[in-house]
Amino acid sequence: MAVWKVVLLVDLALALGVAGGYLWWGRQADRLGRELVEARAAAAGPREFQAEGVIRAVLPEMGLIVITHEEIAGYMPAMTMGFRAVSPKIYESVEVGDAVRFTLAGVPPNLALTGVEKLGRK
Amino acid sequence: MTELGLLARFVHLSASIVVVGSAALVLLAGRSDRPTALAWESRVIALTRALLWLALLAGVGVLAHQAATLESRGAAAFELDALARVALQTRFGHVWLVRHGLLLLLAVFVSLRCDLRQALDWRAARGEVLLLGGLALAVLAAAGHAAAVEPSATAAIVTDLAHLLAAGVWAGALPALIMMLRAASREAGADARPYAVIAARRFSRAALTVVLVLLATGVAIAVTQLGSFGALLGTRYGRLLLLKLGLVGCVLAAAAIGRRGLLPRLGGDAASLGRPAMRRLAGSVAVEAAGALAILGVVILLSVAPPGRHEQPDWPLSFRLAVSAVTATPDAWAFVLIGSQIAVLGVVAALCSLALRSIRLPLLAGGGVLLLAGLAMAVPPFATDAYPTTYQRSEVPYQAGPIAAGGRLYARDCASCHGPAGAGDGPAARAFSPPPPDLRAHHAALHTAGDLYWWITNGRRAMPAFGHLEPDQRWSLVNFVRALGAAEGARRLGAVVEAGRAQIVAPDFVFAVGPTPARALRDYRGARIVLVVLYTLPASRPRLADLAARYELLVPLGVEIVAVPSDGAPDAIKRLGAEPRIFFPVVTDGAPDIVATYGLLIPGAHTEFLVDRQGYLRAVDTAPTGTERLLTNVQTLNEEKVVAAPPPEHVH
Repeated sequence: MAVWKVVLLVDLALALGVAGGYLWWGRQADRLGRELVEARAAAAGPREFQAEGVIRAVLPEMGLIVITHEEIAGYMPAMTMGFRAVSPKIYESVEVGDAVRFTLAGVPPNLALTGVEKLGRK
Repeated sequence: MTELGLLARFVHLSASIVVVGSAALVLLAGRSDRPTALAWESRVIALTRALLWLALLAGVGVLAHQAATLESRGAAAFELDALARVALQTRFGHVWLVRHGLLLLLAVFVSLRCDLRQALDWRAARGEVLLLGGLALAVLAAAGHAAAVEPSATAAIVTDLAHLLAAGVWAGALPALIMMLRAASREAGADARPYAVIAARRFSRAALTVVLVLLATGVAIAVTQLGSFGALLGTRYGRLLLLKLGLVGCVLAAAAIGRRGLLPRLGGDAASLGRPAMRRLAGSVAVEAAGALAILGVVILLSVAPPGRHEQPDWPLSFRLAVSAVTATPDAWAFVLIGSQIAVLGVVAALCSLALRSIRLPLLAGGGVLLLAGLAMAVPPFATDAYPTTYQRSEVPYQAGPIAAGGRLYARDCASCHGPAGAGDGPAARAFSPPPPDLRAHHAALHTAGDLYWWITNGRRAMPAFGHLEPDQRWSLVNFVRALGAAEGARRLGAVVEAGRAQIVAPDFVFAVGPTPARALRDYRGARIVLVVLYTLPASRPRLADLAARYELLVPLGVEIVAVPSDGAPDAIKRLGAEPRIFFPVVTDGAPDIVATYGLLIPGAHTEFLVDRQGYLRAVDTAPTGTERLLTNVQTLNEEKVVAAPPPEHVH
């Protein structure tokens, strides 16, 4: 076989190897992404989250307690937002400025406050 | 151990480069049927083969050295497990595997005997050596300093890659070129002389382009890796770079002189002109090659030295050149202007001497004298005092915490002379002549943070040394003095944003709201305009109610409000109570430092600082009424094109 054909074949093999490796890597990444989505879907159903925050407003007439909270792992980043409470007692148990550890429960995204526990002042 | 590792790297890099350069020269010279040319070509291929195996062998040494370095124990160099860990689990290892795979493939390819009588076959075979060798060399860029450049390494890697390949084509071709010139300059090699003459000329032309690429990419790499001018003289990396530049200059000068005299003579009469010229050219190229080898040695030292941008530069001179030094002295510009004109005249005279052959020497000498005299006049006004720490970066960020800490130190140790606000009017100031300087004026322009650090450490004139303070404390003092300067600027800021005027850096601060994790003012950079509100209850309550009512409009306009209680109370949210309903962050942790720093900028019971998306302080309102002005300011900022780069984390 002529040398130039050998060289061409070697180069083609190299290029194919690089392209193949790149595609294989991409497929791995895809597969991992899908697995992650599946794992998340499998985790659906009733769930419970806990996080710490500070009470910014208590609005029983709107059925909301506004909390500036830390990141709720696996659910939402740190922000200030309103949560619905399951029991009217919870509205009475807290006031603005309380540092709290709260529990959210339900099927995402329909979560409600099931428990609010005051933290000792640091 | 280290020396052996460096030697392995040196051998490996040099061999890889010569493989690429030799292949490039063979392709440049082209195919020939002359026996001497054929013999030369097969010797080059034999050299390539030997170098490839040598590079592979040295490569194993490099891997062993890397393993020993990473695991900080010499024995790791001889353990298969450790070698496998480095090769499979580090970026260096991945690049190593790819490179050595390519080199091995090339070594096998070069070792095959094949029939290259067809032009196409010849070109394919020789081109493959250049392709694989070049690929193996180029991949090296992905494991060097360039790969660690933040935020985007791609541009740095591409520049590095071009630098490596250009170095390969230029320096790597020299051994093969010497071999060819030697062979063709012998009596027996007369048949290949025309071939050698053409090859030398082609290489000379190609080398010019390649050296230009080398210089351009080299400058780009140096700028990225040094980070500051001070690092050039002040760090090991910078000094090695200067050494490399010096060597490059010598080699290029030697090459230029050699080629200019000898290249035209190569084609002359064989016995009297051509052959001696070719022999001497071989000698000149050998000198060039020795220089290139020395440069590669420096390159290896550079590749293992931490880049200048990561080092604290230790400035070796007692002066530095700065434009601000000229603006500070009224008459200096006249000297600079006249001196630079004289220097330009000198350069023009020197250029004229190239054209006017008859009076070349006197014109050149006169031009040189004029140039020196002009520089001697124009440069000194730029000089200003410098110290070993002049170009050092603060080890402490320009942040409210350190500034407040610096302020406490200042009140304890400095205020008695420098005055409570830095005006040089402390109670003890009258004892000094000249009096202590006004710390608020001109400092940003004239002195670096490192200068201030040096004076605090070692004292200056009547000022005692404060070297007994911890380095962090001294840097905090520097930050505080910078904040004094910023306070002077902040006082000139109005309540209305002036478009395009972003000069005062808003000191960064860290804060927390309730039990949530701490965040920083910096976190809003590039995303939000921040209104920092220093408030005092109960007077500020109506204003806070105004802001709370407008918050839902301000958020979509890109504004975040951060409210800071001036009493620093940790139960600030509770004290604000249920009404008004405030949903923006109210600082419960970190307030005292913020109040100390921002209160230094503008003192007052209620002050609102508007910080733009780049992190610059743009407006200060001590008596805000309504939200009209705030909305107008936000509108101005939102319509403004980006006017300034975001400030660095540290003062300069």
